[in-house]
Order: sequence, then C-alpha cells, then structure tokens
Amino acid sequence: MSAVWRASRAAVRRRRVQTFVIGLVVLLSTTTIVVALALLEASSAPFDRAFARQQGPHAIAVYDPAKVTDAQLTGQRTGVAAAAGPFGQVTLDLTEGGGPGPRGPLTVVGRADPGGSVDRLNLWQGRWPTAAGEIVLNQPDPGADPRGFPPDSGEVTLGGKRYTVVGRAHSLSQTADAWVSPEQMTALHPTSVQMLYRFTGDVSTKPAVHADLAAVTAGLPAGALIAAQPYLVVKEKVASDIGVYVPFLATFGMLGLIVAVVIVGNVVSGAVVSSFRHIGILKALGFTPRQVVAVHLVMVSVPALIGCVLGTVAGTLAAQPLLSDGFAGLGLDVGINVGVWIWVAGLVGVPTLVALSAFVPAVRAHRLSAAQAISAGSSPRTGHGTRIQRRLAGVRLSRPVTLGLGLPFARPGRTVFTVVAVLLGVTTVTFATGLADTLTRISTIEDRASGQIGVRPSDGRTRIAPEGQLPPTGPQATTTRTDTEVEQLLRGLPDVARVTSVFRLPVPTIGQTQPLTVNFVRGDYSSMGYQDELTAGRWMTRADETVVPSELMRERGLKIGDKLTLELGGRRTVLTVIGETMDGAPGPPGMFVDWRVLTELAPDRAVKPHEVYYQVQLKRGGDVAAYVAAVKAADPAIDAWDTSQLSDFAVTVIGFSSVLSLLLSTVAALGVFNTVVLNVRERRRDLGMLKSIGMTPRQVVTMVLTSMAVVGAAGGVLGIPLGIVAHRYIVPTAADAARIAIPHSVLEVWQAPTLALMALAGVVIALLGALVPARGAARLTIAEVLHNE
Amino acid sequence: MTTDTCVVRLDKVRKEYGDTTALDGVSLEIRTGEAVAVMGPSGCGKSTMLNMIAGLDRPTSGSVRVHDEELSRLNETKLALFRRHRIGMIFQFFNLLDDLPAIDNVALAAQLTGTKAGPPRKRAMELLDELGIADRRNAYPAALSGGERQRVAVARALMNRPALLLADEPTGALDSRSGEQVMDLLLDLNQIGQTLLIVTHDERLATRCASRVVELADGRITRERSLERA
Repeated sequence: MSAVWRASRAAVRRRRVQTFVIGLVVLLSTTTIVVALALLEASSAPFDRAFARQQGPHAIAVYDPAKVTDAQLTGQRTGVAAAAGPFGQVTLDLTEGGGPGPRGPLTVVGRADPGGSVDRLNLWQGRWPTAAGEIVLNQPDPGADPRGFPPDSGEVTLGGKRYTVVGRAHSLSQTADAWVSPEQMTALHPTSVQMLYRFTGDVSTKPAVHADLAAVTAGLPAGALIAAQPYLVVKEKVASDIGVYVPFLATFGMLGLIVAVVIVGNVVSGAVVSSFRHIGILKALGFTPRQVVAVHLVMVSVPALIGCVLGTVAGTLAAQPLLSDGFAGLGLDVGINVGVWIWVAGLVGVPTLVALSAFVPAVRAHRLSAAQAISAGSSPRTGHGTRIQRRLAGVRLSRPVTLGLGLPFARPGRTVFTVVAVLLGVTTVTFATGLADTLTRISTIEDRASGQIGVRPSDGRTRIAPEGQLPPTGPQATTTRTDTEVEQLLRGLPDVARVTSVFRLPVPTIGQTQPLTVNFVRGDYSSMGYQDELTAGRWMTRADETVVPSELMRERGLKIGDKLTLELGGRRTVLTVIGETMDGAPGPPGMFVDWRVLTELAPDRAVKPHEVYYQVQLKRGGDVAAYVAAVKAADPAIDAWDTSQLSDFAVTVIGFSSVLSLLLSTVAALGVFNTVVLNVRERRRDLGMLKSIGMTPRQVVTMVLTSMAVVGAAGGVLGIPLGIVAHRYIVPTAADAARIAIPHSVLEVWQAPTLALMALAGVVIALLGALVPARGAARLTIAEVLHNE
Repeated sequence: MTTDTCVVRLDKVRKEYGDTTALDGVSLEIRTGEAVAVMGPSGCGKSTMLNMIAGLDRPTSGSVRVHDEELSRLNETKLALFRRHRIGMIFQFFNLLDDLPAIDNVALAAQLTGTKAGPPRKRAMELLDELGIADRRNAYPAALSGGERQRVAVARALMNRPALLLADEPTGALDSRSGEQVMDLLLDLNQIGQTLLIVTHDERLATRCASRVVELADGRITRERSLERA
C-alpha cells in the first residue's frame, strides 16, 4: 500500500464529519444536477425522439386517385429515403361514439398493418382491424394514469355505418383519425390516396420540405396532388404544448446546476483549505508536493465518488416521476427517460468538478513550504474582519451575538460562497412560491369561470368520469329531457347560484380558411367569472359582440375591434371582437357568442342535450358533492362532476417546483452546515477559550447561529428580488410559449407578509444548516480542545 | 497573605481515559491566598488535575470542591457560570481571539455576563495599565510579542476578579525575559491575596512564585513541600 493511500485513508478516518458532509453534499448536488439536466433535456427534444421512434413522415401527401395510379405514386423515388402508401383515404362523419369530443368529419385510412418503414403506429390497445366493420381509432396512450380518459366505447357510427372499435393506436404525425383494413377501405370507395414520405434532403424548414415534395411529385399529372402537410406543423403544435413547461424547467434546471456547482466547490475547496496544517505536517515528514496534492485529492474523492454514484441513482429516481407527469398526455409515445449522457454527467462530470474544486487550493498548498503550511493552520490570523469585530464590540447587543455577527467576515471567500448558496436557495423558494401562487390564482379564476360543477347528459353510449373516479356503470341511457329542461332541472336543485349552457360548433367565417370554433353561451355566463380572465378589452354586453380566447386570437391573427362574419345555413351575422380572455370555456379554444346568435343563424336547429355542456356555480358554502349527487338522483342519464380542482398542468408544475425547491434548499442548508463545520473546526481553540472563560453552551449556540443568520439574511435580502424578477419574467414567457395571455392580476402575488416570510426563508435555511454543528460546538470538550491546540 | 479558608478540595480524584489512568486517587487542599505549583514530568496528570479544578473536565470518581461547590453536580451551563465568576485561566499559548484587539480580549470575560460594553472596557483598560501594556490596548494579538500576549491573557483572567487563578505552563511559550516578567506578575498578584495554582515544568517559576509545591508522578502525588519565598 502506498504512503499516499495510507495517509489519505488515515485522513478520511480522522475527519469523519467532513467526509460525511462531502459525501452528502455531493450526493444531493448530483441528485440536483441529474434532475436539472433531465428536465432541461426533456424540455428540448421529446418530439424529435418520439418522431424518430415512429419514423414519422416528413410529409403527408394526399392524391386524387382519378388522376394518378398507385404504380405512378410508388414509382416516384426522387429524394425519398422511405415511403409508405398509397393508402386509400375517405372522410366520414362521426355521429355516435368515439368519446365525448366534438362530432364531425374524421379522416379514415386503409392500412394493412400499423408498422412499416414510415409512420410506425403505437398500437397501445387491442389489435389491428382485419375484417369488415372493424376500426382502430387514433388516440394517444393515456399511459399508466388513465384517470379522466374517455371510457372505451365499443362501437362508433361513421357515415351512417356502425364499426366495432378493435383497438386504439396513436400516430404522432396525425396521419389519420381512424384506420380500417385495405379491403374495408376498398368497399368504402376512397376519394383520395395517402402517401407518407421520409426524405433524404433538408427537412429543417417548411419550404425545404415543400421543395422535397415538389421533387417527388415532379412529373405527376397536374392536379394529382390534392394536399400536403409537412411534419413541422405537428411539431409546432407539440412544441406549443411543451413550450409552456420549458421556461420553468430551464429556470429550475439552471438554478439547480449553479447551486450544486457552488456548494460542491465551496465544500471541497474548504476541506482542503482547512487541511493546510495537515499538509504542512505531511511535507515535514517527507511527502513530495505532488504526493501531498494526491493525498488531498484522494481524501475528498472517496466520499465524493460514493456521493456521485448514489446521487446519480437518486436523481434518476427523482426525475422519472416528474418527467412522466410533466409530459403525460402529450401523445409523444416515447419514454421520457433520464438519458445516458446525464448518467455520464453525474458519474464523470461531478467527480471532475470535485477534483477541480480540490485541485485549486491543493495546488496552493503544493507551493507552500512545510513551515508556511503549518503556520497557515495555526498562527494568529490577521486582517480579515478585525475592524468589523472591533466595531461590533461596542454595539449594545449581547456579546455572543456581536461575536457571531463578526464571524462571517473572518473568512470572506467562504462566506460569499455560502451567501450565494443561500441566495440561490431563496431565489428558488421565492420563484416557486410565486409560481405556485400564480398557478393557483389562474386555477381559481378558471374554476370560477368554468363553474364548480360540470354537467353533460349522456348520449346513451358514452359516460364521463370525473378525475380519479371510474366511469358510471350500469345500463346506458339517454335523458328524456330536452336541453332547456335539463337547464331547468339544474336551476331547480338546492344551493344553485348560476348556470351557463355551452354549445360548441365549428362555424364557417368569411375571410377565414378554416371554420372558427364558437361556444354559443346562454344563461348566467356574464357573471360566471370569465370577466376575471380578460387580458384585454371588455366583456360582451350585446349579442353582436364576442370575446375570444388569446390562443384563438393569435392562431387566427385576430385583434380587438375586428369584425367577424359568421355564416350558417346560408344566414350571416356580423360580430365585433371586443375582448380577449386568457382561456375560454372547457375544451378547444372557442369564441364566446351569445346563444341568440345561434337562434338567429340556425332557427330550425334542435340542439340535443348531450351536445350541451352545462356549468354550474353554487351559492357560497354550497355542497358540491351533494349537488352532484342530486343531479344523478334526479336523472341517472346526466353526468355531473366536481370541476373545482387544480389543473394537471398546475399540479405538475407546482409538484416539480416544490421538489426542486426542497432539494435546492436542502443543498443550500448543507452548504451552510459545511461552512459551520469548517468554521467550528478552525475556531476550536477560540471556542475552547471562550468556554473556559465562562461562555455557556447556549451562548455558544447563539454565537454560531447568529453568524449564519447574517449569511441567511443576506442571502434572503438578495435572493428575494432575484426570485421576483424571475417570476415576473418567466411566467409571462411561459404563457407566451403556450400562445396565451394572462391577466396582470395573477402576477400580483407579492404582498408584504409574503415577502417577510420569504426573507425569513434564507434565515431558516441558514439556521437549519447551522443548528447541528452549532450544538456540536457547544458540546466541545474544552480540555481536549485546548490540550490539542 | 494566607487564611485558613479552603478554596480547593480534591478528595480521591481519579480520572481515566480509556485504559489510561491520568489521575489516581489524588487528594489536595488549597487555601485562600496560597500559591501552589504542581510539577512533574510530561503525562503525570498535572494538566488533568488543573482541568478538574477549572471544571473543564469531570473526574471518573472522587470529589472536586471549589469554594464549597461540588463540581460534579453542576451541569454544563452552571459549570460555565462557575468558571466565569470563580476562575481565571492562563494558558501556555495565550488563547487570545485573533479578531479582537487587546482591550476587547480582556473585556470579553466580563461582557459575557451581559453587562454593557462600557464598564468592562474601563476595567480592562485599568488592568492593562496595571500590567504595563496600556499603550498596546488597540493592538491585535498578531502584533503583540509573546510576553505582551501573556499579559493580555493574565488581564483577561483577572477581569471578573476570580477567587482562583489557574495557570497552565504560563511561561512555557515565552523567552526568558518575558518569562521573568510573567513570574513577577504572578508573584505580585499572590502577594495582594490572589490564590494561585500553577502547573509548570519550570523549577524557577515554582520556587519563585509558589509557597507550596506538589509533585505528581503517574497520576499520584508523590511529594509536597512548602517553600520559603524570597
């Protein structure tokens, strides 16, 4: 066994607390780094990974079979890496079944199997259709958490014909809404054929994809290509869904990385600096400078390596549920896992960081002579903090407090690192608290606007399950009540305050290429709370006015003051956009239009009860559960559920912000713990002397805690503004990424009491970190300390 | 100047550190105004005995009474208060706080009682003046000579007017001239009634300052002798 190894092992044994602290700090820092990197990675590339896994088509091309033959289509290979098709395609009206979503036309494609070289579908339930009358629906896999997912409906009616749903598959590229066997498609007389292409050339932009498409369609008869869609359209949609998470993930990720790096650097370099006396003794014994450096690198590397391995595992375990929750329901069909490179970063990057942190002070020790190194650890200190201590001696506070106030100035470098750690911890806590408050406010506003209770009569086939509950069982039934009778029923039940009826319908609009989704609303919608969601303009007061959700405004390029001409059944009406809201009625974003407009445009239309969604608000103190039960008792064919719950998004973001806040606060507290351990070790002689002249254990604890309370207060005072700035910048950025605007009121979360509590957060972090070593300092055996010195 | 009042009474004090016996049934009495020197080779238990009397360590068995206070019955806080009010300690390596100037090092002992900063600083100034280093009151320990540092330490030990002054090798880290000065100082203190217990290797210090010498070997008192001081 070499002398270096023996000396290192002896040093590790002698410094058990320090070794434990290094191991623990590296463990938690590695955990934070792995979680942070996993979040950053997950926020940047899930679509690409899912797209690659499905071998998604760079372009979906739809051809007219009357103008081009299958042989012509398969013969076109210019710039094509892989192709699938031609598949027969037809558009059929969904009239019944298929879940509670809107009825309307579905694109049905005939395919022999879900695999192939392009658009490999994720058949996550059932089997592929092989016989006539069988169909597979395109739906994302709900994963391990199917709560709230539409219950299976065994049959659907498409184009007036009933089909048995034999499976569910998901195409990230949305190549179809449903699939049938090729034979079935032939029987349906396809009106178009679909080709799916993966290109060899540039596919980074829409024009590039269109150029690739032009190359592959060159030479085909004119008008053969009916429509084409580059994959970037879907990518942009997914990006906007994920985009809302990115600023949060990136912020927490960066905070986590910086805190971890600062703490590891402080702990490891502090450990080496506090060993200068030991270094001097080793040199005096004949160790070469290089051996001395090696001893100290080994001394910190042993606990650091153990911490890295355990931290990488812990980080992976902690990150997985965050990632799964954060990206569930986006239909990416790809495991959002902690990547291999993140494991490498944890297992290699952190030890490298540790080695670098130890290396810098070790090199300084390398240069010192033996005598200098020994005296650096034992001779009287000069300079640092003496003036401040002197001034504090005259301050009218108890002496342990004034001594404690001066302690941080004795080691300014270490104190700065510790303040930075607490500062970032407080910044994280402040940001996370503000974020949680904002999201809760948004949820509260949305809850109020969407009513406390959602009600939808069954269509006789599909039942709606509230989140966390199984769908109703028993014989399916259709309500015998009309739409207005359902509303009357709801208004007649106890505790009801407001009822709004919402009927959603795509309505062609002059000047718009696609129909606009319109929510025709009736009842108490003006007092439901949608006005609280206004981000610009005002609420509707007349039937010829409309308020539009911000997402729809951006998507359609609308602005306040625009005139929209709706057309239905040959009748037209002009509406003025007079307000913009953060969100609309539940479901896809749709403009608010008074029900009278529907009556005006389609006077003969009989709206069925199951087409209407009813929102109910109760009087203050009303019992939601009792109301829901009363609805079900009054008419078992009507589903009612409590909607006043935080959204999945809010729960997810609050969840991961809480986990990371706790993690970063713990790491920051450990940084303080380490600083106090080092300070106490360096001041053992002083502590022994102070106790020998009558300082009580409580006074020792007071002195040590005061020293770190100063650090905590400084971190708190500096961290709070940073947290507020982060909140003010990042929340609107996230909203923007989600293509929505948010009311200013949800950002006004900072009140004086909250800020006072936040200021205390730094002190609490510091005191928690300092308490154990402070009590250890109080228990120091004076005789032993003074004898050793 | 001596009286018959007993300040320190050790009765069959035994102290063990694992398998090592540092003190083996030591009994000793020190009366008010006495100056006792404890001598013996390294590891004989001198410092251990001093630690027992100062309440810095607890005996494995036996009784340690100082000013009729049985120290083994005191908890850590009461021991700290006992040290603060009854004991003054001088160490071989001074043990001054490097961050504080001389005057604040001296005043510290009184400031721990919670009194305002002013009166302790005034008394500290008087002590530094009496010990002849008033002009060095604002100097930090790093700027003081060994002798000056030990004088500051003595002033700090006297700050709360202790009943018993304990000195552990007070001249051990000093050159001969500084050592002489400290010896004179201790002698002067004893002559004005301060009870002294000095642990030392230095025969000259013992014969010059002490009225009684207690010799220890292997944790036991092997010899006691009274001295005639010049």
